Amino acid sequence: MKTQLTFFWPLLFAASLPGQAPTADEIAGKSQQAFSYAGQDMVARVVMTLVTARGEQRVRDLTLLRRNADAGRQKYFLYFHSPADVRGTAFLVGKEPGRDADRWLFIPAINLVQRIAARDAESSFVGSDFSYEDVSGRPLPADSRKLLREESLNGRACYVVESVPKTRASFTRKLAWIDRANFLPLKEEYFDAQQALFRVFTADEVRDADGLPTVTRRTMKNVKSGHRTEVVFKQVKYNAGLGEDVFTERALRRPPAPWISGD
Amino acid sequence: MTKWLINFSVQFPKTTLALALGVTVLFGWQFPKVRIDTDPKNMLPDTSAVRVYNDEVERQFSLHPDTIVVGVVNERGLLNPESLRRVAEITDRILALPGVITRDVLGLRTVDDVSVNGAELGVRPLLADVPANDAEVAALRKALFANPLMVGRFISTDATTTAVYVPIEATANGKEIADRIREILAAYQGPERFYVAGDPVARDTFGAQMFRQMGVFSPIAGMVMCVVLWLMFRSVTLIAANMGVAMLSIVWAMGALIGGGYTVHIMSSMIPVFLMAISTDTVHIFNEFCFRFAESRDKRTAVVETMQVVGPPVVLSDLTTAAAFVSLATGPIVPVKVFGIFVGVGTLAILLMSFTVVPALLMLMSERRVLALAAAHTGKTGSGDSASGWLLALGRLGVGRSRAVLLVGLGLLVLAAAGMSQIRINNNLVSWFRAGSEIREADRVMNEKLGGTSTGYLVVRGGEPDFVKRPETLRWIEALQRDLESDPLVGKTVSVADVVKRINRVLHGDQAQFDTIPDSAEIVAQQLFVFTMAVKPRDLDSLVDYPFQAANIMLQFKSWDADVMRRAIARAEAFARAHPLPGLPAATAAQAGAPIKPAGIANFNLVWNDEVLWGMLSGFISSLVLVLVLLVFEYRSLRWGVVSFVPLLFTVALIYGAVGLVGKDFDMPISVLSTLSLGMAIDFAIHFVSRFRARMAEAGTFRRVGDAPPELVADALLWTAGRPGRGIMRNAVLFAAGFFVMLFASLTPYITVGAFMAAIMILSSLATLLFLPALVTVFGRWLPQGPRRSAEQPLQN
Repeated sequence: MKTQLTFFWPLLFAASLPGQAPTADEIAGKSQQAFSYAGQDMVARVVMTLVTARGEQRVRDLTLLRRNADAGRQKYFLYFHSPADVRGTAFLVGKEPGRDADRWLFIPAINLVQRIAARDAESSFVGSDFSYEDVSGRPLPADSRKLLREESLNGRACYVVESVPKTRASFTRKLAWIDRANFLPLKEEYFDAQQALFRVFTADEVRDADGLPTVTRRTMKNVKSGHRTEVVFKQVKYNAGLGEDVFTERALRRPPAPWISGD
Repeated sequence: MTKWLINFSVQFPKTTLALALGVTVLFGWQFPKVRIDTDPKNMLPDTSAVRVYNDEVERQFSLHPDTIVVGVVNERGLLNPESLRRVAEITDRILALPGVITRDVLGLRTVDDVSVNGAELGVRPLLADVPANDAEVAALRKALFANPLMVGRFISTDATTTAVYVPIEATANGKEIADRIREILAAYQGPERFYVAGDPVARDTFGAQMFRQMGVFSPIAGMVMCVVLWLMFRSVTLIAANMGVAMLSIVWAMGALIGGGYTVHIMSSMIPVFLMAISTDTVHIFNEFCFRFAESRDKRTAVVETMQVVGPPVVLSDLTTAAAFVSLATGPIVPVKVFGIFVGVGTLAILLMSFTVVPALLMLMSERRVLALAAAHTGKTGSGDSASGWLLALGRLGVGRSRAVLLVGLGLLVLAAAGMSQIRINNNLVSWFRAGSEIREADRVMNEKLGGTSTGYLVVRGGEPDFVKRPETLRWIEALQRDLESDPLVGKTVSVADVVKRINRVLHGDQAQFDTIPDSAEIVAQQLFVFTMAVKPRDLDSLVDYPFQAANIMLQFKSWDADVMRRAIARAEAFARAHPLPGLPAATAAQAGAPIKPAGIANFNLVWNDEVLWGMLSGFISSLVLVLVLLVFEYRSLRWGVVSFVPLLFTVALIYGAVGLVGKDFDMPISVLSTLSLGMAIDFAIHFVSRFRARMAEAGTFRRVGDAPPELVADALLWTAGRPGRGIMRNAVLFAAGFFVMLFASLTPYITVGAFMAAIMILSSLATLLFLPALVTVFGRWLPQGPRRSAEQPLQN
């Protein structure tokens, strides 16, 4: 495993030193931080491709804005550029740890802002194979965890953490391969009520953006249905200085320049 | 060849038997390799058009062909905390069953309800949490009945019944999963009643029961035939010979089938019973042997003579039977081909054994037994013998009142034709179970309470992307649904139009006037987009394809009648003709049946039943032609061929006429019966005509039968009716007895087969013994005496 030593984030080296193996809960906490909370805020242009088992595709092109607040709270703003007939549809999510997120939708064709209540654990994120939880992170206390082993995945040293949900979830067991160096999840396997593998997450490309390791290509595949969702993050920018005013009902109706150009 | 075989068998009976057993062991060796396939779908090859298209539609709309419907009924009202808790628990436990497609199980516990609550759009399964008190139950009741997508599918209008729709993997066995579900249900003792219905349950239960009943009824049929044989001949050896021939031929045919790598399918599981029936042909040999031995008192002479006179008709009748079955292989249906070929193989095995094993066994009978047998037989064949007297009376009727007999026959044929015009072609898998059986009961209750247990799809194909988002397309689909629902057996239809209306209403504060299709494609697109952002993707994916080019209308039927789907298709096509789908691209409109294409299990059942049925019928007709050609060739006379054909045609016409008159659906099992009647009914005529002509040849040389003195012809006819006719009657009775036991089966196709077989046997033997003498008497001038076969095989008496 010499290759791992060539890696770039010296700050995190400490975590991979022997003798200081963190607990499973610590790993999960750091992983959530690295994956869902990186930076103070984030701006990204995202292309999400939904692919059926027979190869048909639906492509959604959107701008994603995220801003962290205190106590684990976050706000997300999504603006859809395409498909053409849904352009301008926007989505605002207020994440409150410990309960389902607040969500508002803007439907331009009928000029309506609608509040939606759904269950994060089981609702699909905009029709994809990701659930809301997969995007914004499942509350840490909702699962109990075990560090199973450490092993190498695609040449990266990883912790293998097993999670079993304590509250209602879409899975009964999850195995996560978490990069020892940067704590990003490189692979996750989800098991269903039949104790069978049904979803696999893979981080297909990890890049450095504004000094923060970021999963810029990811895939969630439902191995049972054959459906998969590929997500590519383009033009990722951290700490752009997004204000609270970006995450309002007014902004839903009028996309906040300069972050969203409306094209 | 036959002579050599007979001589060898008579000379070395023990060697012959040892050889036969040796070959049997070789075939039996293949048995452990048996592979069983109970899925009637495999009647059609994977590559058949309907299967390919069905698979495509299923992939296009993420659908599953096999769905088990689990019903929960509480007559005092299901909407109470206790019953709902049970529904929730049961659903959760079903979700964990292996073979169940967990992600697509539909029920109150899993399906998202989209509703509006104040300013908030709520998306969650109604039974996500079990209501704890009356207020929560009341809220659930209100939400449930406010959503048209729920009523009729997940709750009955009287709020007593819910259903969980459980799709299963294509490779899973429906009966096994149904059994696991029943185990789960058994743990719940309350006021609820539970029902397990659906195509995979019926199909796989049918497949399993079919094999079991074959296993039970084949030996019982065999035993009944043993008893009848005993009553006829009072000889254990004869019973052993007859049943031995049947068993050996079954082992040969099934061994060849299994060794050839074919699966034992529903059709091929019937091969043993067919072969048992065909092997009764050897009765003609025993029958003649008894007569001969009584005359000559020498075992060897009796055997050789018997084989000389009975041999030719046995060869001919077995060859025609084999040819008839093998010609089924010309059809498109694989299991029917396999069935035809291996019944043919078994029949040839029976033919071979008739000339080897049977003579060898007759030779090995002890003198004492032979004497006892002959004595018993002559005792019974004296002039006062009731059976022979009865047969002679029948023959006299045919000869003496030939014209009247033929006129009555003609009258019956006219009646049969009238009946045949009333025939209704239909198939209903569930009705293959007895009334009151668990499966029929479950189906009846679920169809009474909810939209229906049988599912069909009508796919509306627009031909270009985003076609389905157009308001005019959606309104057209909606109107088509209302039209389809005017059929009382169409319980419920669901389409993307329903979803669009629902979301439009909900996004407008649940106001009733927005329960409509919006006026622009853009609004539809954005509202559907919102829908997919909130619910599970499958809720839309099952109704519209990815490019929004095709929409799927799901139909729930209250009956498994293939006819219901047929009617729905016809109605949709008529609707499309009367109201052309607006904006349909010319290229799509030009396609056959555009813009609607049927799919789903109901359509599949419709198509495969039709294909199997017509495949059987066309196979039957080509068999008929082949048999006629064989007969004409063998008799070297078209006229004799036609005459021999009359009893068969008469029998078939009468049977089908009765089916039409009684109002029984003409379904697949009945079409299978056609081939049975063909195999047997013609044999009787062959024995009669062959023996009659041989008898006439002994009497003298005439150009035409009618050239001989009428008394001579009458005598020959009566002799044929009394002596080979006795073999015919014995064959018929034996055969009918074997099949009669199937009346006690629990699957209606077996009962049908049992009842109709007995009828076919009795009818065709009577038709042979009555109409052939009448026909020969009336048309004697027209029938050639023909080449003297007896010149080749001189008779010794």
